Order: sequence, then structure tokens, then C-alpha cells
Amino acid sequence: MVKIYNDYKDHADFLTVYVREAHPTDEWQMKSNVKEDVCYAQPKTLEQRVAIANDFVRRQKYPMPFGIDDMSDAADLAYSAWPERLYVIDEHGRIAYAGGMGPFNYDPAEVRAWLTKRFGPVTQTSSATPPVKP
Amino acid sequence: MSPKSKKIAKWSGIGVVILLVAVFLGLCKMAGSPRDVYGMVRYAFPHMHRGKLHLGDDAPDASLLALDGTIHFHLRERTGARPLVVIFGSYT
Repeated sequence: MVKIYNDYKDHADFLTVYVREAHPTDEWQMKSNVKEDVCYAQPKTLEQRVAIANDFVRRQKYPMPFGIDDMSDAADLAYSAWPERLYVIDEHGRIAYAGGMGPFNYDPAEVRAWLTKRFGPVTQTSSATPPVKP
Repeated sequence: MSPKSKKIAKWSGIGVVILLVAVFLGLCKMAGSPRDVYGMVRYAFPHMHRGKLHLGDDAPDASLLALDGTIHFHLRERTGARPLVVIFGSYT
């Protein structure tokens, strides 16, 4: 998604929304997360969510604008977001693309296809990344 | 129960067991391990019926918190000027 962001950030806005953890240590932890030292318990407070989100952004050098779902999981519930899902919202505030439930149906190529259809093919090699907006 | 009925029941039971084993092995292959099958059934399956938003629906609003942990904003504030690509996910 970062590559798509770098390619299309001059044409579309991007927002990453952190929702509750998919594979925390106290639920369904994956071996790959242990191997990569990405081990977190499911946050019980908003402060814990903020801390994990900041770890993610810092460790991954994640460039996209970022928001964090509240502890009522309002965004998750509204968008059926967990564990991961992609959407495009058009200028009129309507769903223009709704991706499937990740990880098996999480397909950034479909988002690229939507953007390509709308704006034409764009491929940039620049690695420049703007600061994360609140 | 007649001998014929017993035979049918026996083979039906064997068929069900074979089917369950096949489903379990299929899930193991998909998920990675028996432990992951449990995780999939416990945590993922309940969410698979979700996804009620369709093309053309009004995008729901949601209150979000910025990375600094103090500033709140609404998802809808980010829509309107250009298409908005929204990426939902977590770290793990």
C-alpha cells in the first residue's frame, strides 16, 4: 500500500485506521509475529492502542496519514474492518470500492486498479515521504 | 435395527468422520497449523459474515484519534476533496 500511496498521493487522499489487534499474544498469536518481534497483548486502553500504533509507524517508517479507532471499535464495526480491509470513498462520501476481509481477500492491487481507472497509471520511484498528519 | 440399517449407519458414521478429518486437514493447510485452525474458528469465522457496505452506500463516519494521542478527528473530515483510500489494519 505504501507504494500505491507514493504513486497516487497527488491524486487521492489516504488514511490508515488502526483497529484492534488481529494476532495479539493473548489471543491468536502467529509464529511469524514472534519471529519478527511483533508481540503485543490486545490493548485494553486507548493509551495502549496509541502506543502500539506509534511503534508500528516508527518501526515500519510508515508514511501515510494515520488514525486510531476508539475502544468501542466504532470504525471497525461500521466498516467491518477487522482484521484488515480496504475501501475507497469518493468525493461525494460514498463507497466507491469495498475490499474483502483480510488477509485472504485483502487485495491492494484492486485499489491500484481503481486508482488507475480513475487517474491513469502512475508509477513513481521517489521514496520521499511526507510527515504523518494527525 | 435391521442389519442393513446398522450397515448404513456404520458407513454414514465413517463418512462423516472422513469428511471432518478432510475439513480439518484443509483448514490446517489453509491456516498453517492445528493451533491456527483453532484461532481461525475462534476469532476469524465470526467475522466472515460481516462486510455490509456496498458500492454507492454513504461512507459511515467514525471518530478517530491521532498518533499524538490527544487530537480527535472524524473520518468524514478527510473526504470530499479527492477520493479517500482507507486502509484498516493493526500491527500484528
